[in-house]
Amino acid sequence: MKKPVLILISFALLCVLVFLSACGKDTAENNPTAGLTKVAEGYAAGAAAKVELYTKETTLTSGYTRFYVALYDSVSGNRIDEAHISLTPMMDMGSMTHSAPYENPVSENAEKHLFPCSVTFIMSSMGGSWTLKLNVHNHLNNKEGSLTLPLTISEPVKSRQKSFTASHNGAKYFISLITPSAANSKVGINDFEIAIYKKASMMSWPADSSLTVSLTPEMPTMGHGSPNNVDPVHTGKGHYKGKVNFTMTGLWRLNLDFMSGGSVADTTQYFDVEF
Amino acid sequence: MKKIIPFLFILHSLTGRTQTGFSDSSRYIELKEVTVPVKNGSSRQQLVRFVRTGQAASLEDIMSRIPELNLLRRGSYGMEPSIRSLSSGQINVLIDGMRIHGACTDKMDPPTIYIEPVNLDRMEVQTGNHGFLHGSAIGGSINLAVASPSCHAVSKISGLFSSGYQSAAQAFYESLQLNYAGPRWSLLGSITGRKAAAYRSGGGDKVAFSQYEKINYSLSAIYQYNPQTRIKLDFIGDNGWNISYPALPMDVGYAAAGIASVSLEKENPLKKITRWRVKAYANQVRHYMDDTHRPNVPMHMDMPGKSQTAGLYSDGEIRLNSRQQIRFTADLSLTYLKASMTMYQTGQLPMYMLTWPDNRKDQAGAGASWQWQADSNWSLRATARIDLVNYTLRSQEAKDHISILGFPDAARSGFLKNISFGATRRISPVLKTNASIGWAERMPTASEYYGFYLFNAQDGYDYIGNPDLRPEQSLLGELNMTVQGKKAEFKLGGFYQYIRRYIMGRINTSYSSMTIGANGVKTWEALPYAILTGIEASLVWKPVDEVSLISTLRYTYGKTNKGEALPMIAPLKNLSALRYQPGRVFLQAETEQASRQQRYSLAYGEDATAAYTLLHVRSGYSFSLWQKKTDLQAGIENILDKKYHEHTDWGNIPRPGRNFYMQLLMRF
Repeated sequence: MKKPVLILISFALLCVLVFLSACGKDTAENNPTAGLTKVAEGYAAGAAAKVELYTKETTLTSGYTRFYVALYDSVSGNRIDEAHISLTPMMDMGSMTHSAPYENPVSENAEKHLFPCSVTFIMSSMGGSWTLKLNVHNHLNNKEGSLTLPLTISEPVKSRQKSFTASHNGAKYFISLITPSAANSKVGINDFEIAIYKKASMMSWPADSSLTVSLTPEMPTMGHGSPNNVDPVHTGKGHYKGKVNFTMTGLWRLNLDFMSGGSVADTTQYFDVEF
Repeated sequence: MKKIIPFLFILHSLTGRTQTGFSDSSRYIELKEVTVPVKNGSSRQQLVRFVRTGQAASLEDIMSRIPELNLLRRGSYGMEPSIRSLSSGQINVLIDGMRIHGACTDKMDPPTIYIEPVNLDRMEVQTGNHGFLHGSAIGGSINLAVASPSCHAVSKISGLFSSGYQSAAQAFYESLQLNYAGPRWSLLGSITGRKAAAYRSGGGDKVAFSQYEKINYSLSAIYQYNPQTRIKLDFIGDNGWNISYPALPMDVGYAAAGIASVSLEKENPLKKITRWRVKAYANQVRHYMDDTHRPNVPMHMDMPGKSQTAGLYSDGEIRLNSRQQIRFTADLSLTYLKASMTMYQTGQLPMYMLTWPDNRKDQAGAGASWQWQADSNWSLRATARIDLVNYTLRSQEAKDHISILGFPDAARSGFLKNISFGATRRISPVLKTNASIGWAERMPTASEYYGFYLFNAQDGYDYIGNPDLRPEQSLLGELNMTVQGKKAEFKLGGFYQYIRRYIMGRINTSYSSMTIGANGVKTWEALPYAILTGIEASLVWKPVDEVSLISTLRYTYGKTNKGEALPMIAPLKNLSALRYQPGRVFLQAETEQASRQQRYSLAYGEDATAAYTLLHVRSGYSFSLWQKKTDLQAGIENILDKKYHEHTDWGNIPRPGRNFYMQLLMRF
């Protein structure tokens, strides 16, 4: 009497489970740009490709900015998933121009139809005008072309971009906060990531891995820190990853000390995160 | 021939309620107006009529006069009971067998505040070796047995009105209790209000932030199904507001508790199972701290807390034969806690954190106590209990908080074992001795596991939980002796307790304090061991019918494994009362003495506490007013207006000075 009922119930539960898990997969696969904002688009004429530029943020602000490039065949509208893209960011300040740190897509194959890449805007559009040149080599038709997109970069509420002249070698370093941000912070353990670039010339901003970084978070209004943080260490291409612990919401100051071997590079930098 | 003697609130027995003649240190204190034979019982029964100073006495007043109990005082309200210097998670504080957890991370709301003496049938204080029957604990149990409506063959309504005033705090007390007694149904309802202003301490200074206001209401209903069986419904509600704690940096804006239960009770002295009860219960406490009235608050904050408990328990007594009986209990409970703190700084986003990351404690246990009256000179007792306890964090947010402390998985469980043996021997008709030994364990509390920067105003440290803690364990030996004469009874008892993995805060320099102005951070750690030892003595002497003398003495000594003093240990203390009651009038003079406490815990922010001697006088008069039985009581406490504080008072806040009180009690 009881057994058939149990079997029926477990069968029904199984059905529900299968159905739910099937549903979950569907939505993620469908639209690769879901949740992203299109900030610019145009045609790379020689490559017969339409270029769309996406970010996770709704507005562009100075600092490390991750872009997602979507390419389409300009005639058929089909996605182009194999291409070689290289970036050239430029700042025109009237009297002078300079570039900025950037990261080209790692692979010539799109991941989920998108080519992730990044530009670190070291200033906002207040000081001049930003453009981003994309050179596209379309592997489907083996054609190459480029386009230049104008971008407006505003100042963020809390700065994500700092620079200092190192006391050990006099070189200028640019530090970008990648995470945490106000949007993804939580009370608990948070991933911490910065990128460090060195200014070699107006046009050359290579990633730097020579510095060691120590991280000390504090709440300036309360005068306390948090325990068990993990100092960021270099993981590749100028990126340093660690952990920052927030014991409560509110305004946190992430103090950073930079060392080069045994000598101090800088101890004055910090990022503020308020969530 | 029986007669009701009003205002005789009697310590029913020093030696336990059962008739097997045990002489251990369990105390059952009857607080209800009781029906006793005219002959007024033995001298033993006189002992703690002085426990209750009057109808308007709060439960805290009563507890403070029981030799084994101490109160950790943070304000004039919400004092936390300790049994032989063990408190909080080390003891059980039960309301009618129900578990209830305060909703305040700072322990402003011990469960004892929810019971007004008018609703209290009796208080069962079980120290030491048999105190874990109702819950694994190393320090014993306090159970507040709530009053039941009385039944009557013919329907009738009766009531009790009482009113009181105390001068030191300009405190008013009003209470009304109504009882409907019927052959099948009976009801008991009560409402009590208290309002106290900031009190004046000895010497005349007002103690700022010591006022409180509260209202307490209860309803109890009994349906007598048959002469042996009854169904009982109980509800207790308690609302407090504007409650101040001079020893703490914050007050309580509002606190509310609701406690409900339904029980089935069976009682039949002729059957093998003489008494059996099953009870389902639920309670909720909400607590909102408030700093808006305090001066010099660096930053305004809200600190709401919530506790919810649901449980089921069954207990009873089995009489195996005329010489052996067993008390048994089986129970389970779920306790959910959550508390948070939000601080506000203009121009910034609010700062929010969980101070009790939401967690649940699930507990299931069973215990039994066996008593055997071997012969007229020997009786034996064995008690055992086991508990399964499981703690879990209930949200991702809570887990994220605790992961900061290095515990990605903070769920904890424990299996607790308690066992004890005791023997009582009657050496001569006047001399009786009792010896017992026991092993007990207790689980760390939610604060000790998961507390997140809980500020302790006594030592000025933020406390951090430690999920690595293991259960505290205790080995306890007790020796008691009772000399019972015709007109006097003398009792002397001593205990020695070895506590393994004694849980105490230890300074953690790698953490920075969260609270502005705090001295630092302490993490709960287990000391290898700590030792508690002490003596308790009491003397009751009744030379003639009209005169009785009662005196109690208590001393406790505590040390850590390094020989340092344990915190919150009261010094040598003596309470004595001389009562003269020729008839309708009584007069009582009391002294209360404590020696200087020089053994104090510097690590816990304590300092030496001065000795003091207090004098109190009390009087009462019983008469008929409009043919209603009426009692009038008046007295003066702290006649010398001594400015003093006890060692267990936080922040050395002085206690009330000279206090005139007056109470009126009318029955109808």
